[in-house]
Amino acid sequence: MTLIDSRLQETLDGERDPATLPAELRDAYARLVSAADLLRHPPAISVADRVMAEIRAVPPSAGRRVAGWLARPRAITLRLRPVWTLAVAAALTAVILLPGGQSVVPGAEEGIAQFVGHFPGARSVEVVGSFNDWRRGALSLSDEDHDGIWHGAVVLPTGQHEYMFVVDGERWVADPLAGRYVDDGFGVGGQNAMLVVRP
Amino acid sequence: MRLLLTLVLAAAPLTAQSVHARLEGRIPAAALPGIDSLIEQAAAENLPTEPLVQKALEGGAKGIPVPRLVNGVRHGLVHLRTARAIVSRTAPGQNAPDGDVAAVAAALARGLDPQLVERLLIGAPTPGEPPGPVLHAAADLVAHGFPADSTADLLRTAQQQGLHGARLLDVAVAASHELQREGGRTPAEALARVRAMIPNVPVAPTAYPRAVTRRVGRGS
Repeated sequence: MTLIDSRLQETLDGERDPATLPAELRDAYARLVSAADLLRHPPAISVADRVMAEIRAVPPSAGRRVAGWLARPRAITLRLRPVWTLAVAAALTAVILLPGGQSVVPGAEEGIAQFVGHFPGARSVEVVGSFNDWRRGALSLSDEDHDGIWHGAVVLPTGQHEYMFVVDGERWVADPLAGRYVDDGFGVGGQNAMLVVRP
Repeated sequence: MRLLLTLVLAAAPLTAQSVHARLEGRIPAAALPGIDSLIEQAAAENLPTEPLVQKALEGGAKGIPVPRLVNGVRHGLVHLRTARAIVSRTAPGQNAPDGDVAAVAAALARGLDPQLVERLLIGAPTPGEPPGPVLHAAADLVAHGFPADSTADLLRTAQQQGLHGARLLDVAVAASHELQREGGRTPAEALARVRAMIPNVPVAPTAYPRAVTRRVGRGS
């Protein structure tokens, strides 16, 4: 604890004339007197009044209130029976991992046709055939990992379909893995790949 | 009767109009009159026209020159006529369903001998069963080098043992697997082994990829 200078104490007690104090004590004396004056006269408006006045002056918009509600961290407590927790986990796993989790399911007279082709360096590979009126751009294969193996699958009506791969938009190639081929009938020995879609 | 005749006569031009609309812009304009004419002939003979439309669209997409394009469609019409004759002989007195005619024409286009086709259709133990699967199975077997007679016998046995539809394709797959087995088998040995398996030939695995396109826009 720092002791106050005895001359300063005497001055504050009115026992000594402030003018007799040395310069450094006169400054300290002046600050102490000012502080005593502030304590002697309380503020005209209470702190509570000033806070309430501030709140009333700036009402937040609805959007700001919603944003504030969303941004404010909250503690959420879920009370689940372990059996329900396991069931939810199993369902999520099935949706994510099992092949049956996809949304496309063939109808009774439909089946899934898979196309796979090895075209390293190709920029695009699409499948054109009797199932899409030999129209370009209807079924593109993909090669996400850029290993040159392009693949895709589509739901088709059961039965036979003739098709070709179109590589880079210009090169027509009969699927080397089709296993079935048919003369295209245009007279130069061209062949279409053929697939038979099973239900 | 008069009403029926009127409807039939009115239907042909409507078919021709819709076919013309599908082909316009998809094949060279110079090929349109010739192909229109061939399709009208097919419609007039009560033959299915869709295989011819598909052949024309295919030729247009591939950029086939006009004379060869028209010839390709004409070739398809010849196959359809032959197919209809075969179907009519195997089921006398009945109208040949378009689907059956198209399936037989497709088998002929795959190179199947017309006599073998007729033999398979006549011998079918289930009347009215679509001929597509048995014809594809036969074409698969012949393409793998199995003799036509043995092929017909094997498929007849399979049908008699209760195999139908896509299960007949399993017979062809099993035979080709036996043929390619390590050590090598003759076609006769492979067929004998498959014949012994019938009706319990293995079922081909069903593909079920993760990402499947729902539609591919036919006829749009």
